[in-house]
Amino acid sequence: MKGNAYTLFYAAVLGSVCALLLTAAASFTAPYKKANAEAEEALNILLALKVPLAAEASAADVLKVLEASVREKDRGGVTMYTYSPPDAGGKTLAVAMRFSGPGVWAPIRGFLALEPDMRTIRGITFYEQEETPGLGGEIVTSWFREQFVGKSIMGPDGKPGIIVSKPGEQAANKVDAISGATMTCDKVQAMLNEAIKSIVEEK
Amino acid sequence: MADSQQLACATCAPKGLCNGKGLATLKEGAWANNPLAIQVLGICSALAVTNRLENSLVMGAALIFVCVGSNLIVSLLRKCTPHRIRMIAEVAIIATFVIVFDQFLKAFYWDMSKQLGPYVGLIITNCIVMGRAEAFALQNPPMVSMVDGLANGLGYAAVLAIIGFFRELLGTGEILGRTIPVFSEWYTPNQLMILAPGAFFALGIVIGIFNLIKGPEPEENK
Repeated sequence: MKGNAYTLFYAAVLGSVCALLLTAAASFTAPYKKANAEAEEALNILLALKVPLAAEASAADVLKVLEASVREKDRGGVTMYTYSPPDAGGKTLAVAMRFSGPGVWAPIRGFLALEPDMRTIRGITFYEQEETPGLGGEIVTSWFREQFVGKSIMGPDGKPGIIVSKPGEQAANKVDAISGATMTCDKVQAMLNEAIKSIVEEK
Repeated sequence: MADSQQLACATCAPKGLCNGKGLATLKEGAWANNPLAIQVLGICSALAVTNRLENSLVMGAALIFVCVGSNLIVSLLRKCTPHRIRMIAEVAIIATFVIVFDQFLKAFYWDMSKQLGPYVGLIITNCIVMGRAEAFALQNPPMVSMVDGLANGLGYAAVLAIIGFFRELLGTGEILGRTIPVFSEWYTPNQLMILAPGAFFALGIVIGIFNLIKGPEPEENK
């Protein structure tokens, strides 16, 4: 029977070797993963802004379009992405901003795009979320996201905010929540309202 | 890698490659004792990722890679691994292989990585991999352990591919995301096959067919 010292030594060596291998793998793939994450973010900005894209645009195409027609602007701590394509003569067609907040299992991040009037929602995307598949995970589906299009970020009483709740009374700033995903919807509503508040206060 | 293979071949050199047990091991793992269809192990991932053929193939490849790699290393270390911590050592080795594969997917096959989500990482807890390391690699020389890993990985991958093929075909009317000339126009996709219940139906039918072909259990013949 081998002694305790040997067991400890074995565990330490095996652990170190595994850790070394993982570190090597992680640092080797890091630049590729970073590029993927950037392309994913760029794609989501464009999707939220409803920038026309080719059906099978590659990551390089996406970045090219983003660079050509979307400008980043810093407005009081909030980064705004304004969409003004070269052929629009400097006119702003839409503005997008990032929103984020805690989800049920992990942080949720996405982009909210507004029309130039800064009141009407043009599009919304979620590019990072780990909600329960089939329930909270449904926030990424088009039926949920498309509901936001054309909605106002102001209530009828002029107060900023959007409501995500069960179907019922219709309002200009209300969308239907997802059954079985009340917590996710509440959290999405909270993070959107925080983002909306920052836009409205900035104006 | 070269060193380990030389070592492996030296171990089973007397009676040729793998002590002449290679083919028997391959057949046992991939067919007679197929991890999914006969032993019904590791079905969680098999049910979750088989809604598309492409996902199934990548998942199968991942399991083959992990199973072969972990069986090799566990077998190489089998004589110097303290018995008391052998299982945690196996998990550490398996986890290393899984995470390397996951990192590789995230770097070079981003879209697939997004679709498979947590299921690649969950191979760490797949009972097939752990089972083979514990039941086979710990008692056998490296070369034949690798064959066993390959056999079980192939057995898993084959069943996954079969299920993935039929679920995608019946659920979307496409194969590998491409439409099929006449079939796709005529066929109305059945959403059920894409959803979780479809996976249970498909797996159940595959298990049934496997057992039908394989015949009754040996015990009943005795």
